[in-house]
Amino acid sequence: MTKKTFWHKLKSQIPLQLMVIPGIIFMIIFCYIPIYGLVIAFKSLTVTDTIASAPWVGLENFKIAFSDKFFWESVVNTLAISFLKLGIGFIAPIILSIMIFELKDGWFKKTVQTISYLPHFLSWIVVGGMLISWLSTSGLINTFLVGIGVIDSPKNYLVDPNSYWFIAVLSDVWKSVGWGTIIYLATMAGIDPTYYEAAKIDGATKMQQIFHITLPLMKFVITLMFILAVGGILGSNLDQTLVLINPLNASHAEVINSYVYKIGLAQGDFSYATAVGLAISVISLLLVVITNKLSKKVNNRSIF
Amino acid sequence: MKKWSSVRLGLVFLFMLTLLLTGCTGGGSSSTQGKAMGEKARYKVDKDTPAWKLDKKKNTKLTWYVNADWFNKDFGHDTITKQLKKDLNVDIKFVTGDDTKLNTYFASGDMPDIVTIFGGNTPTAQKANTWALPLNELAEKYDPYFNKVAKEQTLNWYQLKDGNTYGYPSYSNTEEHYKSGLIPGADAFIVRDDIYKAIGKPSMETPEQFLDAMAKIKQKFPDVTPFGFKGFSAEGDPGSLGSMFQNHIGVPIDKDGKWYDRNLDKDYLTWIKAFNKAYKKGYISNDNFSDNNTKFEEKVARGQYATVMASGIPQLSGSLQKNIATHPAQKYIAVNGPKSTVGHEPTLNQTGISGWSVTYITKKVKDPQKAIQLFTYLLSDEGQFLTNFGVKGETYELNADGKAELKPEVVKLRNENPEEYKKKYRLGEFWFFGHDTFAIEHGKNDPNEAIGQIQEWAKGKLKPQFILENTDPDSGTAEARSLTNINSYWAKTLASLLRAKNEQDFDKTLSKYETFQKDNNFDKIEEVRNKKIKENKEKLQQ
Repeated sequence: MTKKTFWHKLKSQIPLQLMVIPGIIFMIIFCYIPIYGLVIAFKSLTVTDTIASAPWVGLENFKIAFSDKFFWESVVNTLAISFLKLGIGFIAPIILSIMIFELKDGWFKKTVQTISYLPHFLSWIVVGGMLISWLSTSGLINTFLVGIGVIDSPKNYLVDPNSYWFIAVLSDVWKSVGWGTIIYLATMAGIDPTYYEAAKIDGATKMQQIFHITLPLMKFVITLMFILAVGGILGSNLDQTLVLINPLNASHAEVINSYVYKIGLAQGDFSYATAVGLAISVISLLLVVITNKLSKKVNNRSIF
Repeated sequence: MKKWSSVRLGLVFLFMLTLLLTGCTGGGSSSTQGKAMGEKARYKVDKDTPAWKLDKKKNTKLTWYVNADWFNKDFGHDTITKQLKKDLNVDIKFVTGDDTKLNTYFASGDMPDIVTIFGGNTPTAQKANTWALPLNELAEKYDPYFNKVAKEQTLNWYQLKDGNTYGYPSYSNTEEHYKSGLIPGADAFIVRDDIYKAIGKPSMETPEQFLDAMAKIKQKFPDVTPFGFKGFSAEGDPGSLGSMFQNHIGVPIDKDGKWYDRNLDKDYLTWIKAFNKAYKKGYISNDNFSDNNTKFEEKVARGQYATVMASGIPQLSGSLQKNIATHPAQKYIAVNGPKSTVGHEPTLNQTGISGWSVTYITKKVKDPQKAIQLFTYLLSDEGQFLTNFGVKGETYELNADGKAELKPEVVKLRNENPEEYKKKYRLGEFWFFGHDTFAIEHGKNDPNEAIGQIQEWAKGKLKPQFILENTDPDSGTAEARSLTNINSYWAKTLASLLRAKNEQDFDKTLSKYETFQKDNNFDKIEEVRNKKIKENKEKLQQ
């Protein structure tokens, strides 16, 4: 019975199914077949080998990575920077988008939006160069701080390992906050204005409107963004790290990506890099699934 | 029922996928080299005439892969490649990429005709016998003249264990080249001329003299940083105060034929202590440790450093030129600067016998005869004149001494619009078989305003370090990974030594570095290095 309905259904949808086929082929060729390449994580592949001809080495590449204490140091830095980014960088666009939303339409709102999107379009190479200047002893930040008398003598912040996490997080937030507001603004634009009108008639203040109408209605998108953000915790910004790292701040700046680049890719060791990448992907997937489950339990909302 | 059908569907899907995958990876088998080498020369081979003059075949097409994304792929429009096309009847299609693209070539088995990679010690180069044709056999069969233009020591150096040489490097400097004194120096201690004069041209050869001079600079020119150096811009980069400075003060490169830890040399550390004092007195800026290369070059261009321990002078020449253009009096000149405290002579270094890029003819080459002719041509005087000076009568003329002299309009364009110059003439940009000494020996180029004096200073101070070349552990080994970490830690240590608060702090940082070495396989790395040094010596004695 069920079998029949399946084929029947398929038959009745033939034009639609045909339209899906190119997409599926695309996915197979560019997303699924390359997955086969992951086997090099268990092989020892050099530039001159093919995936098939490289010798098997079992879990050797994983052992090399996970028994290396410098690798774990990079994990600590990655987690620290990611959690700070999650703490600050996740909330910042929500607040900013509400602030933009509450502005009256007009030139001011548009200007604020444009200015806040702009840094997103700069490459990290450019931003890195700017940061090196701004944070140097004769840079913008020192001139300002010395000028208003907060500190006595200028200091180079990039050579101080203890400031690095904050530099990394704040510069990342500055660069991405405006762009991050887009999805929230789109959601807010979809909120029925009659809710606000009703609230206003009932005498709700702006704050009450935000907390009782805007935020609850954005809950789903916020949850979705959060679950996705959790999946990226072990990911790190390679561009940012490579432009800002120097021998003095390396102890706090080395993240998984940059370490794998240094030990693996820079020496043509694709297998090592793939092994670490695979491990990170598996852990990230688990994190997403767990967060999703938790969200379902606590919130009764989930993305899958 | 529904479950069953989806399982079956899944199986069919999996089967299809397997088919696709096996189809994808089937092409990787390497071919026998017999095919390309099988054909007989289509002309009468003569050992005294380069084969390109004998071969009348028209319009050969070759694909040339260069493992560098930045390489200019244009062919047949600039002076050099236009002439190349005419002389050799060849049309080259350049392809560029990185290691991933190179791997794709190997994996597909669909190799280009010619491949240029960087680094003669990479696994790609070491396994050249599996994918490239032996140059010695090609030369013997199609173009014996090749052996007249290729350097024997270089060919020996690139010989693999099977006795064949597969690749030929650019800028490979043999002992002969070093002895000739024609290799331009690339590193020097430079000082801003106006400041040097204003403080009375003091000697800066001992740590005390150096610090005195710094004090004078600081007092008279409070706006400039008394001392700058290149480096620390990336992790693990000790910059010009690392091995380059060790060369400058002549730290020995080996001890009784064994590898010597130059970083812990007493003479060297005495100087690092002096620089530490300079740092504490504010003669070195903290920004020097966070500036990237671009920032460093900008500061040199603005004359912001009174003295600089400079490395890579040719790369810095643009900035030095800019500095002179805006403030002629601020020209940087090379002076002796820091000298060994125990009487060593400088042992400046330049590119060694391994050279820079290495070019191979692959087993899949469509026309091996034309390929080896191209090698011979570019290595011969014709090719060298062409790549350095262009075409006689068009871009250069020979003067009374028989030296090539670039025409005024060419020089003018080079000085005024370097980008257009590169595009139009490409002189010095077609470097596959290039060599620094050729231009110096055969050209009468007016010495470069910015770096002429610096290179003059370095004359006679360069000494080969061939035995140290390619002695790091092979990449992918545990020793190589340990060495990467030790090198990172050394850069950090050097930066910390320069910024040490006091003597105690200095000694503690140093002993921490020594412990780090011990904890990270350093004895094994040393073993590998000693073994490779021994092999190098044998190769050089061939």
